[in-house]
Amino acid sequence: MGDIWYSDEDLSNMMKTNSFRLYLWFALIFGGSIVLPLVVGVFWIHVLTEILILGLFAMSFNLLFGYMGQLSFGQAAYYGLGAYATAMMITKTSIPFPLCIIASILIAGICALIFGYFCVRLVGIYFAILTMAFGQLVYYIIFQWYEFTGGDNGIQGIPCPMLLRNAYSYYYFALIIVTIAIILMWRIINSSFGYTMRAIRDNCNRTRFIGINVEKHMLINFVIAGMFAGLAGSLWAPFNRSVSPDLANWTHSGIPVFMTIMGGPSNFFGPLIGSVVYTILFTSVIGFTEYWPLIMGTIIILMVLFFRGGIVEIFNKKTGQIDMNGSRKEGIFIQNGLRDSATNKGAE
Amino acid sequence: MMHMRGLDRVLVIGLFLSLLLLPFPVKGAEPYNLGVVLEFTGTGALYSRHSYQGIELAVEEINKEGGFLGKHPIKLFSRDSQSKPDVGVREAKDLILREKVKGIIGTQSSNIALAVEEVCYEYKIIHVIANSNAEAMTVSNYSPYTYQIVPNTYMQATATAVSIAKNVKSKGWKTYDTIGSNYEYPHSTINTVVEHLKKTSPEFKLAKQYWPKLGETEFSAYVTSIIGDKPDFVYACVPGSDGFALFRQGNSYGLFKNVFYASGATFLTEMMEMKDELPRGIVTVLRAPFFANMNNPMMANLVKKYQAKFNQYPDDFVPMQYDAVYVLKQAIEKAGSIEPENVKNAMKGMTVNTTRGSLSFRKIDNMVNCPSYTGIIADDPKYPFPILRDMVVVSGEESWRPESEVLQLRDKADLSKKRRPEELKF
Amino acid sequence: MTGNQIIGQILSGVSRGMMLFLISSGLTLIFSVMNILNFAHASFWLLGAYFTWTFWKILYSPIFGLWASIPLAALTIGAIGWIIEVILIRRIYDRTLTEQLLLTYALVLIIGDLIKLTWGVADRIVPKPKMLSGLVNVFGSPFPVYYILVISLAGFVALGLWWLLYKTRFGRRVKASVFSREMVGALGIPIHRIYTGVFVLSLIIAGLAGGVQAPISSVTLGMDMSIIVECFCVMVIGGFGSLIGALVGSLIVSLVYAFAIMVVPKMALVLIFIVTAIVLIIRPWGIFGTAMRT
Repeated sequence: MGDIWYSDEDLSNMMKTNSFRLYLWFALIFGGSIVLPLVVGVFWIHVLTEILILGLFAMSFNLLFGYMGQLSFGQAAYYGLGAYATAMMITKTSIPFPLCIIASILIAGICALIFGYFCVRLVGIYFAILTMAFGQLVYYIIFQWYEFTGGDNGIQGIPCPMLLRNAYSYYYFALIIVTIAIILMWRIINSSFGYTMRAIRDNCNRTRFIGINVEKHMLINFVIAGMFAGLAGSLWAPFNRSVSPDLANWTHSGIPVFMTIMGGPSNFFGPLIGSVVYTILFTSVIGFTEYWPLIMGTIIILMVLFFRGGIVEIFNKKTGQIDMNGSRKEGIFIQNGLRDSATNKGAE
Repeated sequence: MMHMRGLDRVLVIGLFLSLLLLPFPVKGAEPYNLGVVLEFTGTGALYSRHSYQGIELAVEEINKEGGFLGKHPIKLFSRDSQSKPDVGVREAKDLILREKVKGIIGTQSSNIALAVEEVCYEYKIIHVIANSNAEAMTVSNYSPYTYQIVPNTYMQATATAVSIAKNVKSKGWKTYDTIGSNYEYPHSTINTVVEHLKKTSPEFKLAKQYWPKLGETEFSAYVTSIIGDKPDFVYACVPGSDGFALFRQGNSYGLFKNVFYASGATFLTEMMEMKDELPRGIVTVLRAPFFANMNNPMMANLVKKYQAKFNQYPDDFVPMQYDAVYVLKQAIEKAGSIEPENVKNAMKGMTVNTTRGSLSFRKIDNMVNCPSYTGIIADDPKYPFPILRDMVVVSGEESWRPESEVLQLRDKADLSKKRRPEELKF
Repeated sequence: MTGNQIIGQILSGVSRGMMLFLISSGLTLIFSVMNILNFAHASFWLLGAYFTWTFWKILYSPIFGLWASIPLAALTIGAIGWIIEVILIRRIYDRTLTEQLLLTYALVLIIGDLIKLTWGVADRIVPKPKMLSGLVNVFGSPFPVYYILVISLAGFVALGLWWLLYKTRFGRRVKASVFSREMVGALGIPIHRIYTGVFVLSLIIAGLAGGVQAPISSVTLGMDMSIIVECFCVMVIGGFGSLIGALVGSLIVSLVYAFAIMVVPKMALVLIFIVTAIVLIIRPWGIFGTAMRT
């Protein structure tokens, strides 16, 4: 069937024999994340928090990219909306912080619902550009609405709730929220809904023929991704104490794309790994040079040309699995003639 | 069968790499780490690079004598905020947490200064502003750690408004337009001018307001629209590279021949760079023109050293950045210590020597009583670039906002939500 | 809103539209022939502007200065395009959309920083030649003479491209390769040379546009970022892969912007994206695009 992802058989096998390993790794990493802050300096605590928040952002993107097969270049719109909603609620009202987060998630979700309704009717490059256009719409509205959002000034000096003002406290807070979010995502991806998504990704027409309402499912996924992005944004605002319209700009949408590609979109944790690598790289590089875009651009080119499939695939032992066409399975970027991600709904 | 999959290897390697995050102990001399956050790229870049030269010059001079208090050599860390508040916040945090700076000088653009002000407030680091001058920084968003040594937008706009009001009467003007880039500084300036004009010349009608986006390069549509409005007067506040574009395109359309034009964002920098392309006869306000202060020994010394090193005259911003470092020096000497808390307490209400003379900080807003220089752009045989004629120097006390209004504005902005109560008592 | 004002806005809208067309035409050409969306197109445009400044500085002749600098810059960009096509672009023809977008996006980042390294952060100013610095009166509205150059150049490029694609053998081959790469290759026509030729041509036009832009505003870093998004809007509205679509799309975008400034100044930028979104929703392939083009 030309399925270049792990086939369903593989997946269930993996789940059975490797669930022990999976839980072991998960426990180790989680334990590590708890212990690590005790040995690194305050500066790196900030970095770790950033890794968590951006990692969540990237994973929300991967819900659309890795699991639904569509490239969204406007995910930052929901991230930015979440951040601004939280920022404005904290500074202008006295709504308690947990409610601010929930409200931000809802706002991002509603926006994703409205925009997504139109986006899911397109695929490939049209989907990408429409998401980008909506993203820019949000960006320019925030940018131009000086009286309400502060325009280019952004919102500065956002007061963080008292309990979380300490860098360590905020880190653990973010860790808890992000972990819960990841667990939720894992459950969604491995539910029947998740498998429907994969079916839509792999072959839209066949999925439609077996009676599934493709647009409705894509829209639900789009809204879920938007809500997770909004959650990431609402975590960012009080952490950074500052928001600016750039959070919604298309260049900011490029960051989860980059992280996911770097980490490997075919793996659930790929985007998170990408976040770790990107953030640490970024932080280290800007410490001694201002030419970060040059370095990032070069890395992207190297990854696209030579290391397709991301970091996870680099380290992947060649599994020796052969697909229907006789060629060995590689990363996600293979075009095998039967399926072209640009025309997912096209003829076979 | 447990063979290593890709994910496993990544995680193992990642765990090893995380050991690199362990901090290494640093042995120390005690330099004074001074942070500089300026807009080296983006719209503000035009002014920032000269500004940095002013800082470098001052640091060089001070380090020749051993640094602050003769024993703390100054180590400069400069960061580019890229004209984005987000980046400004990150760089300021980076400077404070990683490089452990004790003071930050910056920024150029007001929106970023507001952001950096908050970071410095949170981490209790001295913040000296020598370029950005939106009033919000000292009035509605006051911070006890932020000190401003450049005339703020209220002062500059007031200075301008006074001379405009005179023209309205004598020339019988009826309508005017404004055009300003859509961020804090132009909003602040233009709003103040409009407020003033409403009070002094109520019959002078504001016809239309244009707010092009920051970073705009195409002003033709704005220019043609303004020409179509046929106003008697245009007040503009479009700084930086945007301002260049506006002037060039305005020139193409002959905008300046037909309307009287005043700019709130044309400084000595533009006058020196644009030379012929800058229309003569427009009104502008300067902050620290060297030619108006040559009898001040500090300014004369700066001009001499600057010309020797960089082969040109210092622009409007160099003297203020130079002043910033020297103001820090004088505060540190008064405090006898380099710790930010002591320096901040010493700076309160202090009188300092600057290139513009002896100035004092007002206690209520940490604003120094510096003058604004208004005049008309015209050529001068002494210099290869135009300067001001018919110059009027408006002192700080004449042009800054009265203290009662300051307190009112702070109440309106709910500043008490962001600051501790003892910091707002004067 | 007087008649003069309307004419003024139409004129500034048209001149801006022509500049936008010059940039978008190259983008459209690359997309229609090679199915690659070149994110970095505006970056090459900016590079062309910077090179024009450099050549102008070197030549420093009040008469020939600009007239020689612009074509020189255009050719330089073309040469750079040739190198990039051979080294990089050639490898991604067969790749997925995502990889192509990422690679050209990487080029945006790299070119931006290389410009910063080479020319620094200072604004670069290129003055207009004296001959073109005046004003003419068009239906009662002042109109800078320089924009007449821009409009004529755009018209020339449009006609030239039309002639090239519809009246020459090269053009026929290009159109054939759009429909079927394999068949053209099977006929013994070197498809790679066609692709390279098209890429270089597009970049020459981009460099030309950059050179022409230089005297209009100052040449600064970051100009490419906002223009590329406008170009995408043009492509959406006009239709991907259609040259006449690029022309019409550019005019629509610029005129909408010009009138929005006059009527609803705050909403001007937002309006363009609303229009783009509406086109994508109602007719995703644009005014002149065809449904089968992806």
